[in-house]
Amino acid sequence: MEDRFAMVGIRSAPAAKPERRRRRSLPLPSVLLLAVIVLGCLCCELFIPKDPAYMDLFHYTQAPDSEFWFGTDTMGRDVFSMIWYGGRVSLCIGFLATLISTTIAVVFGSISGLAPRWLDDLLMRFTEIVLSIPSLLLVVLIQAILGKANVLSISLVIGVTGWTSIAKVVRTEVRRIRNSEHVIAARCMGAGFFRILWKHLAPNFFSSIMFMVVMNVRSAIVAESTLSFMGIGLPLEVISWGSMLSLSEKALSSGAWWIILTPGAFLVVTMLCITNIGNALRRNVSRKESNL
Amino acid sequence: MAEILLDVQHLTHCFKLSRSAAIRAVDDVSFQLRRGEILGLVGESGSGKSTVARCALNVLKPTEGRILYKGVDVCDPKQFRANRRMLQTTRQLIFQDSTSSLNQHMTVADIIAEPMAIHHIRPKRGTLRAEAEFQLKYVGLDPTYLDKYPPELSGGMRQRVAIARALSMEPELLVADEPIASLDVSIQAQIINLFKHLQDEHGFSFLFIAHDLAVVRYLCDRVGVMYRGKLVELAPTQALFDDPHHPYTRSLLSAIPIPDPRRERARTLHSFDPAQFGREGALVEVAPDHYVLQRGGGA
Repeated sequence: MEDRFAMVGIRSAPAAKPERRRRRSLPLPSVLLLAVIVLGCLCCELFIPKDPAYMDLFHYTQAPDSEFWFGTDTMGRDVFSMIWYGGRVSLCIGFLATLISTTIAVVFGSISGLAPRWLDDLLMRFTEIVLSIPSLLLVVLIQAILGKANVLSISLVIGVTGWTSIAKVVRTEVRRIRNSEHVIAARCMGAGFFRILWKHLAPNFFSSIMFMVVMNVRSAIVAESTLSFMGIGLPLEVISWGSMLSLSEKALSSGAWWIILTPGAFLVVTMLCITNIGNALRRNVSRKESNL
Repeated sequence: MAEILLDVQHLTHCFKLSRSAAIRAVDDVSFQLRRGEILGLVGESGSGKSTVARCALNVLKPTEGRILYKGVDVCDPKQFRANRRMLQTTRQLIFQDSTSSLNQHMTVADIIAEPMAIHHIRPKRGTLRAEAEFQLKYVGLDPTYLDKYPPELSGGMRQRVAIARALSMEPELLVADEPIASLDVSIQAQIINLFKHLQDEHGFSFLFIAHDLAVVRYLCDRVGVMYRGKLVELAPTQALFDDPHHPYTRSLLSAIPIPDPRRERARTLHSFDPAQFGREGALVEVAPDHYVLQRGGGA
């Protein structure tokens, strides 16, 4: 009886061939376009023809021509140079705000998901209260408290107001995963909160919030431009896509379509790329999970 | 008699269903696990076997009773904290379902080395990866699996990985919660032989939970039978199978099929009427080391 099912040595696996992970199929046009925009913004000093802040008073509100590719604005600044230069601020705010809000959301959601019932209830009601306040109102309030706006404070304000919905998703996912046996096993082994969060929970809920995180970049850029448009965001002399758009009310009345259309088009194209990539990521992740 | 490693005293655990209703999953269970022995716990589904295991490893907090491990009361937060590292490194748990007990986003190497990484133990064989490779070979898997993810392995392989993870700490107490229930029969036999082999070599104490009586008979030194949260009989394996005392045990043993059609036809089933089951009573020693739950018995 003993020998019948005894193991006869190690059954060797088929020779491990250097198996490369299948490339995830990302939408190539969107990735390329976004790469061009991001790289262009990062290295704009190399190719922009004019100082974006210099006001050329002889050529204000000039239509696009061979010297000013996208024209000049009402103060005589070169829109082409401003686009690349201002994209830096906008993208920076987009990613920074997302980083802040995602961090808050993950930590807050995990605590709420792992906490005992009463604390979970308390934290979730708090989230709902924050969620119910129009975020614009909150942004204006915090901005007023923080005082003069700069890139960091704007990112902070947008980040602090934008974490609630991700936190709710994280919390639900953590609730689902926390009783699975690998988390119990890790706890038995003595793993601490952040180890469990990082090794066991995050990889499992990452797929569900991936899409929301990417979308958060988008909404942060939009929020910045909204704020700047309303004049409570970055001061006018800091060039961003938002502050460029905020000049548009004057531009529209004078018929200078290029002043509003150029930053608008860049904003929309960037958003579309990010949305597209976010969608593809979500599709890939759900396909990968269904294979398991 | 060998030293007592795990001493479960009057363990009771209730699951609260709502504010008023609760289920007594484990009801006044006491037993002792000696160093170096394999103790089997058998019983039908819902008889509280897993709850006992989970209480013994601090996954669940007992409602009443004490659990002493090496003289440390593991349910007492103060004593637990004082001996935390010892408790977490010398006791290990193996789960039934290897699909959910292994994190599917970690490689096999990371999974096996995880307990060592948590406790910052300097690996004997240089690196954590070398250690994982050694343990993997030890449970009979090829090192080529080190970089695979659990979903890429078969059920038997995954269970081996789970065993390798538990063994990497060289535990003194290994609790296996139906480790073979989700495997098919030939793999079950392999895993059982692996356990026997490992136990011979390591000499760890083993609390083995199963509902398969044949497996328990083959593997365990002593067997406890549970029914509706009560431990109804506890005896050395041979004694239990030769001379069962409690009516439930008799009924359970009579249900084992015999692989001989002529004798199988002659087999009589002892039915057990749940209405007869009395919850009150205590374990009485009817023969040396053979305890049976009897009504009105004294301890």
